[in-house]
Amino acid sequence: MKSISYILMAAVAALLIVLPYVGDLASQNLAIKVMIAAIFALGFNLLWGQAGLPSFGHAAYYGIGTFATIYAMEAIDKGGFLPTPLLPLVGAAAGFVFGLIAGWFATIRTGVYFAMITVALAELVSAIAVKWEGVFGGESGLRSIRSDWGPFAFQTTTSVYYLTLVWAVLVMLFLYWLQGSPFGLIVRGIRERELRVKFLGYDARKVKTLVFALSAAVSGLAGGLLAISDESANMVLFQGAGSAFVVLNTVIGGANVFFGPVIGAALTTCFGYFGANLSHFWMFYLGVAFVATVLFAPEGIGGAIVERARQVRAGERALLNLSDIANLSALIVAIVGLIILVEVTGTICSESYRAAVASGQGVWPAVKLMGLSFNPLSPLTWIAGIGGLLLGTWVLLKQGLAKWPSFLRRTELAQPVGTGEAK
Amino acid sequence: MDTVVVALLNGVIYGLLLFMISSGLTLIFGMMGILNFAHASFYMLGAYLAFTAVTIFGFWGGILVGTLGVALIGFVCERYLLRHVRSFGHVQELLLTFGLFFAFEELVKLFYGPYAVAYSVPESLRFAAFTIGDASYPFFRVLIGATAIVMFAAIFCLLRFTRIGLVVRAAVLNPDMVRALGYNVSAIFSAMFAVGAGLAGLAGAMGGAYYTTSPNMATELGVIVFVVVVVGGLGSVGGALIASLLIGILVNAVVYLDVTFGQILATIGLVSQKTASDLLAVPLSSTAGVLPFLLMLLVLMFRPQGIAGDDRA
Repeated sequence: MKSISYILMAAVAALLIVLPYVGDLASQNLAIKVMIAAIFALGFNLLWGQAGLPSFGHAAYYGIGTFATIYAMEAIDKGGFLPTPLLPLVGAAAGFVFGLIAGWFATIRTGVYFAMITVALAELVSAIAVKWEGVFGGESGLRSIRSDWGPFAFQTTTSVYYLTLVWAVLVMLFLYWLQGSPFGLIVRGIRERELRVKFLGYDARKVKTLVFALSAAVSGLAGGLLAISDESANMVLFQGAGSAFVVLNTVIGGANVFFGPVIGAALTTCFGYFGANLSHFWMFYLGVAFVATVLFAPEGIGGAIVERARQVRAGERALLNLSDIANLSALIVAIVGLIILVEVTGTICSESYRAAVASGQGVWPAVKLMGLSFNPLSPLTWIAGIGGLLLGTWVLLKQGLAKWPSFLRRTELAQPVGTGEAK
Repeated sequence: MDTVVVALLNGVIYGLLLFMISSGLTLIFGMMGILNFAHASFYMLGAYLAFTAVTIFGFWGGILVGTLGVALIGFVCERYLLRHVRSFGHVQELLLTFGLFFAFEELVKLFYGPYAVAYSVPESLRFAAFTIGDASYPFFRVLIGATAIVMFAAIFCLLRFTRIGLVVRAAVLNPDMVRALGYNVSAIFSAMFAVGAGLAGLAGAMGGAYYTTSPNMATELGVIVFVVVVVGGLGSVGGALIASLLIGILVNAVVYLDVTFGQILATIGLVSQKTASDLLAVPLSSTAGVLPFLLMLLVLMFRPQGIAGDDRA
């Protein structure tokens, strides 16, 4: 089993190295976006998965990294001496400094208070960025250009791609090393039982502030790579969507597995890239996927893979058996049902459709979807949508891929309810 | 002078609207330890439900539908979703409500599109309540404020003087003991969640008519509501009231100050006049959006448990 994962990693590495030779410009751009999102998610997961601190405002450090790097690029263009390949370090440094300050504030409280403080801090930065046009460039944002350094030219997408790849590998090595280091152990100790770590003589608050700053630094580095790739920075980066996506990526991918956030980042970024062209409602699907993950598979995709690998190694299950195929088809049926429901509802609620109905004297035009036409007035459309969704979900629950929600389980045990303890 | 009075009044009304939303959030947190990210979504859903129902049931019917509908949505969320993940801990609950927040916003966009809808106060309610100097003050604003005050009084009396309130307060402190005494604590929690959601729905149904009803109204208000709850102290309704009013008045009053940061710093002599007019030409009034967060940081530094909070975390 271990050899399989090594082979898999080698295959991914080989694919990433040869991508510029086999893929077109669009695929390189997509790969850059995936890698940046992956670094960001890994940085976030240092705080979330390792330290168990829920931050919902990481866009702030990402954005600050981007803006700091843009200013550094401008300085290089005017004759500064910093080598272009080291630019992401500027973003990391900015993220680190800001993370120290923010972390100091956020770690005053724990649990859900911590979460709220991170949200409010991010909103504070966002509010400042909107108003302070002198520094953040207002609506139009800031632009700069990549300068060449020594023998390296950075004008092509391919060069940016390799630069991002190198940084992604470096960040992964660093985080992997950190995870196994004594510091990483203390951080996980704080996640499991903070009081004991304190008894051992460690200053838990200092450790948490430091890990917050490191997480912010990695996020800032990701922001720096974005600045290099886009050659621009905009205050939109600070808005809530950035903070939300990194949480989505990490949870869907699986926070307890090192490569989980990478998997999540790759999936959602690709989904956004292709989905945005196919449907106006791709964000809704993402939200549903997130809620379903939290409800039915709290360990995420990475966690599911690791668990299956463990079972295969222990000889409990085959790598792929009949019930997996049944589950997979049920999942597809459920998704198709959901897509029919959402797309038809969304289309008939849109203004252009209402206008078409009005101009056609009350005739409701059919909704085109996946090469088929759906008549919104026919009950068949709705039966197909609702039926597919219910049938698929029912099979999934029946097969035990997803856990039954407690209200459907036969013996309902009363769960201990929260005692108002914020922990 | 008149403008100052109007600004203060606006601040108080805005603060009371904030209180309508944050009281539910703080109650739910105090009882169950759930930080409900989706709470501001309930505010948004209240506005949209009311907007939809107004055409059928009239304005007051719309408000009623908004309130009860959101209470029902809140009940379903607690009973069928949150309770399911409770055994995985508070962070998982936090994640679930975060996902719901995301999904609700997209759901609203699905039905109503990404832009603001034309939900407004009916003609019959658009009259001046009173005049201050030359300015007349709209009746609907006063109505929003009055609703919030009535609501606060009702919650306070319910919790303080009734048997239900006694059981609820006991369930907050020690749910296991209350359960052992034969009360259905889970049902109490579901009911409280529904009430909290309904309050936010009511706030949305009324506030949405006066302010704008758009899919990002949840994001805009949600963060401020968090600030209110941290400043006031999680779990304290009284603290939420004080913090709401404080933030409402601060945000509305600062808009009337007509100086820039550069001018202030240049007057003290920290920066030159040139920097003051280029880089630091940020008017003080534009800090309205930043002030609540600064207030929160100050409170965190000097009184981490909030104005009226206890030392639970």
